[in-house]
Amino acid sequence: MRSLLQLLSKYSILLMFLALETLSLVLIVRNNEYQRSSFFSSANVVSAWSYDKLSRITSYFGLRAENSVLHEQNTALLEENNRLRNELETIKYGLPEGYVMADADRSYIAARVINIKSNKRRNYLTINKGERDSVRADMGVINTDGAVGIVSVASSRFAVVIPLINTNMHLSCKLKRQNCIGPLTWDGKDYRFAYMEDIAKHIEVSKGDTIVTSGYTMNFPEDLPVGIVEDVATSESDAYHKIKVRLAVNYNSIRDVTVIKNNTFREQTLLEQTEK
Amino acid sequence: MNLWLSNILRFVICVLLQVLIINNLNLLGLCTPYVYILFLISLPARIPRWAELLIGAATGITIDIFCNSIGVNMAACLLVAYLRPLLIDNLVTEKERLTGTINSTEVGMSVYLRLIGILIILHHSAVVMLETFSFQNFHLTLINIVLSSAITFAMLSGYEILRR
Repeated sequence: MRSLLQLLSKYSILLMFLALETLSLVLIVRNNEYQRSSFFSSANVVSAWSYDKLSRITSYFGLRAENSVLHEQNTALLEENNRLRNELETIKYGLPEGYVMADADRSYIAARVINIKSNKRRNYLTINKGERDSVRADMGVINTDGAVGIVSVASSRFAVVIPLINTNMHLSCKLKRQNCIGPLTWDGKDYRFAYMEDIAKHIEVSKGDTIVTSGYTMNFPEDLPVGIVEDVATSESDAYHKIKVRLAVNYNSIRDVTVIKNNTFREQTLLEQTEK
Repeated sequence: MNLWLSNILRFVICVLLQVLIINNLNLLGLCTPYVYILFLISLPARIPRWAELLIGAATGITIDIFCNSIGVNMAACLLVAYLRPLLIDNLVTEKERLTGTINSTEVGMSVYLRLIGILIILHHSAVVMLETFSFQNFHLTLINIVLSSAITFAMLSGYEILRR
């Protein structure tokens, strides 16, 4: 304290000078029209510039929360879309109000991928929703790009999803334009590509054709995007095309997914088992 | 003459000369000499520095009130009032001899001219730059500073030579 006072008294004249000089500058800026306008306009340039830079940085902090909100909304919209489509069908076929088509009886659960292995042959994803959120085995999982995979097991709070890029996965798919069904498999090499089999040679397939889900499995509704044809290889000895598919989902950056809950799943499986 | 009285008289004369005559001269259309700083330069050397700062601020604000440029001359005069004792310390060798008003008979002609030269340039630079308040057309600002300083310097040194 003493040394502070000494310092102050040593520089008292300088401090007094600076204080008076500041006062005069304040007077200049406050009382002279021209100086005021030019001072404040340049100050605005500076503050606007720094606000702009700051917001560019801070906007990243909110991105995670923002993303989750958007994902929740997306899921709600999916559900609404499904309901409206069902309503449209019931009106089209003259069915009574409130009638739910068997294949439209679905609900959606928003989830987040919390673990992913995409460099092995048997990849899997872990999501942060489990049985308490009514996620069960065999439910389909999608994201905004298309089909992701199928739930294999679910614990109380988590579930493990077998993605399309797992060598054990065979998903029934469809060439959208040609309307031909065939299973999609993965060869265990590149996470960006899978192969579609059982498409007979006489069917014309060209690069860029869209591949969607067939709707013949209980996990996925019809016409969900799966990928596009990247390359078609045909050998003389083989009766089928070997179609290389660029997957719609990028498994390297997957984060927000939606689980499709098919409410008629049990009924359908039970019925099919009695038929066996 | 009493030191107080002579300084007050000089203050009044300098301010009136500045605001009534010099400010209306409009020399060459782009410069104004500020001869009133003769009052600040001539203040007694023994004056306490805090008092000198306050006198500088008061002089500047008086001119500003007449010129309708609040703060501009005040800032420049504060600069003069703050730097003058430091300059006198540096330029004058026998400071103990200084008793009254600073002029050429007290400090010697060459020292006096150097003193007013430096203070005039500092003061005029501050005034002109604060009035312009922009670095656009800086060469015009610079010409204004140089011309105004030169005219003020010529007037003050001419007055000093005639006075002797």
